Amino acid sequence: MIYLDNAATTWPKPSCVIESVTAAMRQYGANPGRSGHRLSMETAQMVFRCREKVAKFFGLSDPTGVVFTANCTTALNTVIHGMMRQGGRVLISDLEHNAVLRPCHALSSPSLRYDVARWSPSVEETVLNIRRAVTPRTRLIVVTHASNVFGVTMPIEKIAKVAQELGIPLCVDAAQTAGVMPIDMERMGIDYLCVAAHKGLYAPMGSGLLLCRRKEPLIPLITGGTGSYSQCPDQPMDLPDRLESGTLSVPSVAGIAAGIDFVQKIGRESIYEHEMRLLQQLYTALSECNGVVLYTDFPQIETHAPVLSVNVMGRRSEEVAALLDREGIAVRAGLHCAPMAHRHFNTLDGGTVRLAPSAFTDPSIVMRVKKVFEQFSEKPLHLSENVL
Amino acid sequence: MANHYIHVGSITNAMRGKSLLEQQGIRAYVHRTTNPPQGDGCGYSLLVTGNLGQAKETLVRAGVRVVRISDAL
Repeated sequence: MIYLDNAATTWPKPSCVIESVTAAMRQYGANPGRSGHRLSMETAQMVFRCREKVAKFFGLSDPTGVVFTANCTTALNTVIHGMMRQGGRVLISDLEHNAVLRPCHALSSPSLRYDVARWSPSVEETVLNIRRAVTPRTRLIVVTHASNVFGVTMPIEKIAKVAQELGIPLCVDAAQTAGVMPIDMERMGIDYLCVAAHKGLYAPMGSGLLLCRRKEPLIPLITGGTGSYSQCPDQPMDLPDRLESGTLSVPSVAGIAAGIDFVQKIGRESIYEHEMRLLQQLYTALSECNGVVLYTDFPQIETHAPVLSVNVMGRRSEEVAALLDREGIAVRAGLHCAPMAHRHFNTLDGGTVRLAPSAFTDPSIVMRVKKVFEQFSEKPLHLSENVL
Repeated sequence: MANHYIHVGSITNAMRGKSLLEQQGIRAYVHRTTNPPQGDGCGYSLLVTGNLGQAKETLVRAGVRVVRISDAL
């Protein structure tokens, strides 16, 4: 199989991650931060080492700001609900995933509104659009680092400067970029970073991260046992306990640590370059196929994440994906949980076919994918033949 | 040399505190708090040997919440 659905979750996982997860279930079987016996303490130490590793990897000075979550969606909801429950306005971009749009929409009320700023291929225009959309009641800015559909990026450092100037916290959705593109929270001025660890960090599915640079306590999304200050009915103020109620997925934590080791061993920059080279080759190859529609400019390193959306003229994206599947190519079609991004690119009606390589993708796939797309333009498609 | 327990609340605070103190050459051990103060409940402490003042200052400066200090008998 040619797996190009890495924007949904990376696969395969590195053997070091699989081994680390398995080893964690064998060696770190006790609940960390709950008991005082040796196994619990050893597990807690492994978990803390992972927090340190994550903090260092993303340029966060204090590892207690690293919160383990079930996924990037939970991390984003934690920030949005935690900041906005008391009202005000939240500013988002029109590239956002439903992980951002839906919590903002769900919280909408006469006292809480969300504003949407338009992304533009021009960095200056995007920043200007953000600045113009800020109101005196804006309490939070949430932007994606890169569109999960089209791969285009937001100028995070420039947006962070605007946010800092106006005293508004900036939350970044790094679902598609963490482990791939450079991220340094302190240097870039990111206050909250939300990470899908099962994507660019190659951790198991069901593992995410929220990194908090701000010390102001968020209102927790859920409350409960933390193993600390147990007599007090109020949720502790200290991070990560404030945002980390209940038992952690220790095997996932071990998987995150091993995933970062894997990325660092190959080199984040090398992985990014490899994936972008493949994306550029795919772009060029598909642009030579009759009837293939491409939506962005040629993807350049630094301004593009390794995610590409395409279509075949006169075909529905789901139809194309089903036929690619028949040829052993795994991609995702449709709206990718990002209707605003599709509206922006005028693809809301039929969606797009998304291709995303990983560190494991072999360059030989480019010609194989091209061959299949060439067939589409030569013969009619019969989706009904593919029904299982 | 006197030993002291510095109560820091959570396991993460304790682990971070241990790391910070060891960077300063202060030996510290993470323990589950065995005699939590009334109204506090469960938590973790650092058993520190040596310069308590320097240890406390290191933790406070780094933003680690010091809940209470007690003698380690």
